Amino acid sequence: MKKKLNGNRKSKGSSLLLSIIIVFFVLGTIVLSVSHKISREMSSSAIQNLSESLDLIKCTIEAILNNEAEFQKLIAHEIALVEDPEEYIRSYEKNQSMVKMSLVLSGETKGVSNTGETFLAEELDFSLGDTVKGLEVSRAYMNYMGTWAYTMKCPVEKDGQEIGMLYVEYTYDFLDRSLPTGFYNKKAMLYIMDARSERFVLKPKGMGERSAGHLNLEDFYRANSIEDENIRENVNDCLKTGKNILFYHDIREKKSLNYMWAVNDGTIYLVGYVPIEAIQQEGKAVNQSIFIVVSAMLIAFLLCCLFYYLNQRQQNRLRKEREAEREIHNKQLAEALQAAQIASNSKTMFLSNMSHDIRTPMNAVLGFTTLLAMDAENPVKVREYTKKIMSSGQHLLSLINDILDVSKIESGKVVLNIEKFTLNSLVSSVDAIIRPMAKSKNQTFHVEVTGIQHEYLLGDETRINQILINLLSNAIKYTQEGGNIWFRILGLKQHSLQFEHIGIEVEDDGYGMMPEYLETIFDAFTRAENSTTNKVQGTGLGMAITKNIVELMGGTIEVSSEVDKGSLFRVELELRIPEGQADKQFWEKNGIRRILAVDADEEGSKTIQALMKETGVFVDTASRVEEAVDLLRHGGDYHLALLDWDIPDMDGRQAASELRMAMPDSMPLFLLADCDAQGPEEMAETGRTGILTKPFFVSAFKEKILEMQMEQRGEHIIKAIGSEDLEGLRFLAAEDNDINAEILAEILKMEGADCEIVENGRLAVERFETSEKGEFDAILMDVQMPVMNGHDATRAIRALKRQDAREIPIIAMTANAFAEDEKAALDAGMDAHVAKPIDIEYLKQVIKQCTGGKQ
Amino acid sequence: MKIEIKKYCIKTVAVCLAGLSVFSLTACGANGDPGKDLIISEEVEERCVNLYSPMEKTDPDAENVARSATDKTVILAEEQLGIKVAYITYTAEDYKDKTYDDVALDRARNDMDDLYLLNPDVIRTLGEEGKLMDLSGLANVENLREVVKTANTVDGKLVAVPQEVVAYGLFTNKELFDQYDLELPETPEEFLECCRVFKENGIETPIGANRWWLETFVFAQAYAELYNGGNTEAEIEALNSGEAKYSDYMRPGFAFLKEIIDKGYVDAGKARVSEAIEGEGADFLDGKTPIVMAYWGAANTETAYGATEFEMQVIGFPSSRGQMPVISMTGFGIGVNAEHGEDALRALEIMTSDEALQIYAETNRVISPSQNVEVDCVPALKPLKDRIEEGVYVLGSNAGMKMEQWGNTCLIVRKLLDGATVDECMEEIDRLQEESLSK
Repeated sequence: MKKKLNGNRKSKGSSLLLSIIIVFFVLGTIVLSVSHKISREMSSSAIQNLSESLDLIKCTIEAILNNEAEFQKLIAHEIALVEDPEEYIRSYEKNQSMVKMSLVLSGETKGVSNTGETFLAEELDFSLGDTVKGLEVSRAYMNYMGTWAYTMKCPVEKDGQEIGMLYVEYTYDFLDRSLPTGFYNKKAMLYIMDARSERFVLKPKGMGERSAGHLNLEDFYRANSIEDENIRENVNDCLKTGKNILFYHDIREKKSLNYMWAVNDGTIYLVGYVPIEAIQQEGKAVNQSIFIVVSAMLIAFLLCCLFYYLNQRQQNRLRKEREAEREIHNKQLAEALQAAQIASNSKTMFLSNMSHDIRTPMNAVLGFTTLLAMDAENPVKVREYTKKIMSSGQHLLSLINDILDVSKIESGKVVLNIEKFTLNSLVSSVDAIIRPMAKSKNQTFHVEVTGIQHEYLLGDETRINQILINLLSNAIKYTQEGGNIWFRILGLKQHSLQFEHIGIEVEDDGYGMMPEYLETIFDAFTRAENSTTNKVQGTGLGMAITKNIVELMGGTIEVSSEVDKGSLFRVELELRIPEGQADKQFWEKNGIRRILAVDADEEGSKTIQALMKETGVFVDTASRVEEAVDLLRHGGDYHLALLDWDIPDMDGRQAASELRMAMPDSMPLFLLADCDAQGPEEMAETGRTGILTKPFFVSAFKEKILEMQMEQRGEHIIKAIGSEDLEGLRFLAAEDNDINAEILAEILKMEGADCEIVENGRLAVERFETSEKGEFDAILMDVQMPVMNGHDATRAIRALKRQDAREIPIIAMTANAFAEDEKAALDAGMDAHVAKPIDIEYLKQVIKQCTGGKQ
Repeated sequence: MKIEIKKYCIKTVAVCLAGLSVFSLTACGANGDPGKDLIISEEVEERCVNLYSPMEKTDPDAENVARSATDKTVILAEEQLGIKVAYITYTAEDYKDKTYDDVALDRARNDMDDLYLLNPDVIRTLGEEGKLMDLSGLANVENLREVVKTANTVDGKLVAVPQEVVAYGLFTNKELFDQYDLELPETPEEFLECCRVFKENGIETPIGANRWWLETFVFAQAYAELYNGGNTEAEIEALNSGEAKYSDYMRPGFAFLKEIIDKGYVDAGKARVSEAIEGEGADFLDGKTPIVMAYWGAANTETAYGATEFEMQVIGFPSSRGQMPVISMTGFGIGVNAEHGEDALRALEIMTSDEALQIYAETNRVISPSQNVEVDCVPALKPLKDRIEEGVYVLGSNAGMKMEQWGNTCLIVRKLLDGATVDECMEEIDRLQEESLSK
């Protein structure tokens, strides 16, 4: 189509060009013919004009000659009358016309001249028979003045008898005065030629004297390259017959009109040439004007064409731009459509997955509920079914949490909650969750912390926790029973002194992943699928969430994996180091300035030294027990010792015993051991010996020291966990959902508490307002309720003019489980936030905190 | 970029339209006024100086350096004075016609022109007749070389001023000399020997000659001793007083000429009717004639011998003192009764100023009459120039000699060409000497 369009355009352009050429050709032909016609007419007119001018000159010269002849006759007549004719001649004074006068009396051969010399008639050539008014004219000759001259002879008659002959010499120079000055604007050449001798006898001033070629006719031919025999013959014929001739011939490469114009019956000739350009001056001017007009029209036409062309080009360009733009839009639309389709497909797939994933636990819940109904009398079955229902419910909850998390992260609503935390608490909490999971699959869970410079850091501990739990739970999930899971926290080279650069590695020797899956592992709604993993339940969102959180923290996450060999996830984060984190005072107060660390692992020793550096406590290290014993006995003024339980080549108990023997009794010994290590507890009972769970952290170390001190002082640590129930407490609960209300009431009842349910916030406010003081121990407030929501109700309660209105604990119990929901609840005046579904243990813990263990 | 091109196009179109409008308006504005005199007022007649000078009968399209050089100085005068110099020329059709000099004499005697370019003998003649204006008052006379002033002073009056010092020499085809293992001749004997060898080797006429310049052989041999012997003034005085005879000086030269004529080294018949260069030039240029005589400027002039296809060397004429340049001077004179005498005088003053002579000398690469002007010459002229710079030369004309040399000797040589004997020629010289002494 496009080609066709282009073809059409080209053929259109060609025909336009052809039309222009034809128009120009026709126009040019017309102009040329008009121009030629004008030239011809002008030329003809110029020839006519030249002929007339030459005729005029000819007539003038003839008139002069005639006058001279007539005047000579008069003089002859006068001489005949004078007594002494010779004396008359001698006394004559020459003038410009008659430069010499001579008289030869009849019968004599010599005569007299006015110049004083003897005159010899034979020196002049009258043989040619040329005459003027009947007087014979001599051939032209160079006279005594050095100029060309001719002489006319006139008989002097007295009484009818010839008494002598009068010779008067005339110069051709005299004729010059009668010739036009500036013949054809000084461009024409004009000579007077003596026809008999063909000598040029007059070369008028100012008419080409500086050029050669004016000696005689032959010289004229030679100088002007007139070599054409026909021309020469024609000229000769004319000279013989006394006719005029005009012919074209180039003179010095200029086309010229040459002329030979007979004067006095051809005795003398006007010879010369006029360049055509001089003759056709007017014609040329007209042609030039035509040329200018045509050129102007041509230019105007071309300009129009140019503008048309430019305009067309611009329009074409605009059209192309528009087309390109349209194409881009179409492409974008197609891409958007494709993206939408993909999204739709993804969502369809997601929904399909979710449907499957939700239905599976839901099926379990409903199925076991049915079974529960049937086997309600069998306590063993009931416990088994409720356990499974609980498990399925938990899975369902995590599924929902993950979906919500992804949705939130993708919409950019996640806000990091940056707070100070210790790596110790992070590792401990992760360990507490993961280790049981690993244990349940008979997997070995290794925790390693090396190269860390700072233990206290700033960051969102919950989110980091989430990352670690995701990675580690995945590792457990995708590792067969009896496998190994490694969790490493590595101190990397710091880029800035203000940031701790940490690497988190989660490694397993599990199923591993296919390379093609690795490319999409961090995309949402993807899940490794094979015959083995299909057994594993999951949302497929965990990795996407993990990656998004890592990136939100400015970190990176990488994965490497090999099928059947295992996977390695590596996360790098830079976490700000809080100022003044070291608690130097504690160590100084307890007089701990120097300790001994016995660790065969050099990296472990270095980590202990690095972490203890900021406490101001000096750490000596020994890799072997012997070395440590030696240090303790010889000069080591240590305040306590730290022993790695897993010291190679020696049993932990033996090592501890040897150390203890070398140590003063009062000096505490701490055993650094894995949490599942066998034997440290026995050693701990020996006194002044404590157990420190690996990995080593200063905060944990500090806590253990404190514990030991308290033990020494005879104090016993009161276990925080007291009575597990809520016996005797009375709650006001605002809950619009009947089922939830019932569940809540039943749970509280099971825990020994009493609960009064109201359906909305307004009723809660009214009920509390009418209650007696101390009637309720706390208010459990749903947030989303009809009539008045939980936030407004809380504000209203807090605004009541009752003393306990400000004191009564109000606990939010809502399905709005995000951090900002918690914040909103607290801002509204509530004391705590518990997310639905209700974890009874957590609820109890919160209630206790809020009520201060009132029961 | 595109926007700039568009702006440029618009500007161009605007200018074109403006130009067209102006053109159209001016075309419309030329209508005649009904009451106005339509005769185009004639230009004020400009002052004119008539210059009589020779004209070469040559191809008009060829570059004529000699004429161009004079023309340049004439144009200088025209521009500075606001005058027009009109050239009057004459060239004899054949030997029967009056010569250029004859016509020059006639025209000067009849006050036909204002300014004349004259040969030395004519200068002397007209100077003696009092027909030439005394040019001693010209502003630049003091720049002229002494020899120039001497050669053009008649009866104490400086009657002509030249634009170049014309040195005559022998123009030789060096390649032909080399071909026959001949050295360029120093003495008359060597010269004759060279001619003999050429003749024997089939070169029919070793010397190309015309009716004007054979006399240079005579001057070289006659006055080599006089001008270079250290006793010049005394010898000239002796000649002017009649104590010594010109014929005694000139006899060897005429005898020499007679010998080369008799031996056929010169074609006397052709020489008698040939104009300068015109007769002998073609054969010399074709390599048929190994020797011609000509003036310095001919070596620079394309129309003469300025563009030979062979190596040319210009040497002095053979003499007892070796190669001898003959120096002559054509000069500009002004008619004493010139119609435009004052303008002619001013024009000549400019034409012979150092500025003009520098232009002239650079154009023609000749020896300048002004002692302030020096230019290089073409390589072919170097031998001749070296001799002149050494101070070795003879004068072809000398106004200090009472007997006119250049013209008279030329005429007597023609008689020799016509068949006169050396003795007859010497008699004529004696007669002329007596005639001059009797004035």
